Amino acid sequence: MPAFRKLWRGFDWPLALGIIGIVAIGLVNLYSATAVNQRALFQKQIWALLLGGGCFVAAALIDYRAYNRLAYFAYGLGVLMLLVVLVFGHKVNGARRWFDLGFFRLQPSELMKIFMIGAVAKFLHDDPTPQERKLSHAGIVFGMAAVPVALILAEPDLGTALIIFLVTFTMVLVAKLKLWHVGVLTACGIVITPVVWLGLLKEYQQNRILTFLDPQRDPSGAGWHSRQSIFAIGSGRLTGKGLLHGTQNQLQFLPEHWTDFPFAVLGEEWGFLGGVVLLSIYLFLILWAIKLAHEARDRFGTMICVGVAALVFWHVLLNIGMVSGILPVVGVTLPLVSYGGSSVVTMLVAVGLLMNVSVRKYSY
Amino acid sequence: MITAPLATPKTEDRELNRRLRLMAWLCTLAFVVLAGRLWQLQVLRGELYLRKSADNFVKDIEIPALRGQVRDHKGRVLGDNRAAYNVYVTPRFLTPEALERLCGYLNLSAEQATAIKTRAKETRGLARFRAQLAVEDVSREQMALVATNRQNLPGVQIEAVPRRTYPLGTSAAHVLGYINEISAAELNSRREQGYRSGDLIGRTGLERQWEGYLRGTPGFERVVVDAKGQRKSADETRELLQTPRRQDPVPGNNIVLTLDADLQRLAERAFRRYPAGAAVVVDVETGRLLALVSKPGFDPNLLSGRLTFAEEARLNQDPYRPRLDKTLREHYYPGSTFKVVPAVAALEEGVISPDERVQCKGYHELGRRWFRCSKFHGRVNMYEALAQSCNIYFYKLGERVGMDRIARYAREFGLGEPTGLGLNGEVPGFIPTQAWYREHAPGGFRLGYTLNATIGQGATKVTVLQLAMLYAAIANGGSLNLPQLVERIDTAANAPVQEFPPRLRRRVAVKPVHLETLQRALAGTTHQKGTAYDARLKDIEVSGKTGTAQVRKMGKVRSEGREQFGMGDHAWFVGFAPTRRPQIAVVVLVEHGGLGGHVAAPVAMEIMRGYFEQVAPERRVSRRGADEPGRAADARPLTDLPAPQLKDLGPSPARAGVGGGH
Repeated sequence: MPAFRKLWRGFDWPLALGIIGIVAIGLVNLYSATAVNQRALFQKQIWALLLGGGCFVAAALIDYRAYNRLAYFAYGLGVLMLLVVLVFGHKVNGARRWFDLGFFRLQPSELMKIFMIGAVAKFLHDDPTPQERKLSHAGIVFGMAAVPVALILAEPDLGTALIIFLVTFTMVLVAKLKLWHVGVLTACGIVITPVVWLGLLKEYQQNRILTFLDPQRDPSGAGWHSRQSIFAIGSGRLTGKGLLHGTQNQLQFLPEHWTDFPFAVLGEEWGFLGGVVLLSIYLFLILWAIKLAHEARDRFGTMICVGVAALVFWHVLLNIGMVSGILPVVGVTLPLVSYGGSSVVTMLVAVGLLMNVSVRKYSY
Repeated sequence: MITAPLATPKTEDRELNRRLRLMAWLCTLAFVVLAGRLWQLQVLRGELYLRKSADNFVKDIEIPALRGQVRDHKGRVLGDNRAAYNVYVTPRFLTPEALERLCGYLNLSAEQATAIKTRAKETRGLARFRAQLAVEDVSREQMALVATNRQNLPGVQIEAVPRRTYPLGTSAAHVLGYINEISAAELNSRREQGYRSGDLIGRTGLERQWEGYLRGTPGFERVVVDAKGQRKSADETRELLQTPRRQDPVPGNNIVLTLDADLQRLAERAFRRYPAGAAVVVDVETGRLLALVSKPGFDPNLLSGRLTFAEEARLNQDPYRPRLDKTLREHYYPGSTFKVVPAVAALEEGVISPDERVQCKGYHELGRRWFRCSKFHGRVNMYEALAQSCNIYFYKLGERVGMDRIARYAREFGLGEPTGLGLNGEVPGFIPTQAWYREHAPGGFRLGYTLNATIGQGATKVTVLQLAMLYAAIANGGSLNLPQLVERIDTAANAPVQEFPPRLRRRVAVKPVHLETLQRALAGTTHQKGTAYDARLKDIEVSGKTGTAQVRKMGKVRSEGREQFGMGDHAWFVGFAPTRRPQIAVVVLVEHGGLGGHVAAPVAMEIMRGYFEQVAPERRVSRRGADEPGRAADARPLTDLPAPQLKDLGPSPARAGVGGGH
């Protein structure tokens, strides 16, 4: 098995340790978050991590250049799944985001994040004109992003749509597109948004999005979550209340704390120090990915690393910003810490790609 | 770190490297901002949020104090507490399914269910996290059903609470009063006194008057609750609260009344033939009230809960006015029972002697008006005029005394102002004067008004309680007492807190000999020719005065649809017994009952007989044990009342040296 040998010899230990560190913190935190009455979720998360570990290895083993050929196909498959899920998807809390596979609920919008990174990376790699990029280049990339974003918004899932948009935007920016091109396209987007809003979205979908943006619309719901989450973090103070001793968590004042609000549990039980440790590992992972982008031997590898770095960065920023009350409450998970199978698998595939690029950076 | 120059084979792509480096810096900057926010929340404001998170789960649960008991003179309980189960809902956690299930368990009507749902739905803001009382006093079986299904009833709590109960039902309802939940407006003004939302407060009667003593001081217990409001176990509580605090409630004081429950029920039973009326029984010497009847009554057990709209409307629209305390909250024309006042005024002012005879032809002419008498009495003296209730005698007497002098003596005997019982918003009554008529009557003052006032009509108004105190003062030789209802206050453990001795309002400024004259005259009422002769008792001699007060004007105003009830005269009997050594005074008013001697007197006699035969037989015997009651008194002629009797009442400067008279 030359592929395994290659992986072993070029294994990127700092990357792997960073990931293991985050997964470990996430598991301990989830153990506490689910301690009261959601023990089953913890076990499901372990299964998801095992599955995700397999995907990580798979993503790292096969030379990423092979993916180059499949990138557009994967993108098309992703869009198709998003279309199908809108019609046949499993409905939870009024949103159609999942395929119910019995043992596992598959969330195609999560996979779409990977497919999107691949497709954009391929487009920027294939384009042979590093000197003269035209406006149409940027237009095509944003067009590629607009289709899944619109479909995901319709589910509705504002958080994921936002992430895909931001990741694409970041990749385009790094890939030397002229800034004024980006400005023009952003302006177009602003013009198109009301058309999408009025033409495509139904009223209840609009309401859901408005509530996402403005929690005060539903004072006993999202606004309450936000306040309780700030109380939880703040009350952790410097060193925290200790594992399983967070009152906000254990007495269930934090709703949904295993999916979107795990950082509130961490902040309450481990304090400022615990939060900063986790933030540091994330930052290390992001900077390491940017370093890999720099070292990658081709533009496809570079762009994949940039995409994964952007993916992790925006997830962490939006999630912790939301939990600590400086950003509006949108449903964005904390990578490898939040409960959720699709999210865990997606993230492990994404960092698996980083490993893939890292292993092959010097070998021709 | 990324700041080191990136050695790379792709040096041709300088611009890409520049942007990668920029991305790394921006990411680092963003994370520093996040860490700064965490520093702000956790280090700078940590203590604040720690307190706020503690506020989430620390709840001081009030432990209500047991309300004091109300007992009668002999210690029988009239107002008590029993355990009841109330169901509460917390709007934030109540699900429609839970409410539906709850309604099923409790057999609630659709109307009740809607009421609970609407109230929960309309609650906004933080109040959504507070439990609201949904159903009061559910049965033990229903309580068990709800408690065992607690897991399926989010937002539903059931709690044992003490509930007020009045074992005698409607008996003495006006005196006892009732309690119910404090209103939002009262809560604002009484918050400093420690009242909280949902507390019960005395509404009427003693429950209101003695609220401060009965209520007690609530205690509290500090507990830990989760976000759904469920209490956590003792272990968790100990862990989260360093010093678990609990303060036991102090139960309210018991109030011991002067009332006698047996007499009270006996007096109420004496009214069985009549729908509406009032009675007061007072101890002559002390002013202690032994029974207070206001008929019809209400059930304070019902009023102390939540009345439905229909029940409330029925109570308020009842033409017999069950919520009104007719012993002291309503004005009545005293009619002939008032005649003792002009009589004593005439004697004191020396305008008539008790033996002077006045001709009654059955009418009295004043200008163009004729004032009628009940019948042709012939020549009557004061004794006969009072016993037979001759109006003509009193018209002539009234002309001689004049309105203002009558008014002065009326006030001397406590009419025209509240007696000072302090219960149920006592009304003052009204005694007119010439000056008042000059100001208020269309034609100014005329002599006819004096004639009306003399026989207790016109503008003269009294309360039932005032008459009782007035006749008690006549019976005891001139001591106008403060009516007394509360004898003693005890702690819940029956240790005395305060005793209330009888209190004298004043010695009336009337010569004892004149009171003696009145006593002799009033004894005649139950003798031959007297207006209450038919109602007399075989064994007990009773003194008194009948009255039949015209109320036609009043009747017209509020008798619509009930002509029969509203039109008749009020029947009065006021008296005391035994004649020779009075122990109790009794006033009976039968609203629109008719003739006092035929209607009210038998009721009063039944009360007196019941008192001396069943309730307090020992009081029939004179305290000195000198005379044989009943038989001897009956046999003795009126004029033969032994003179020393009055002196026996006790040495008093006011009584000494009197003997002349008129």
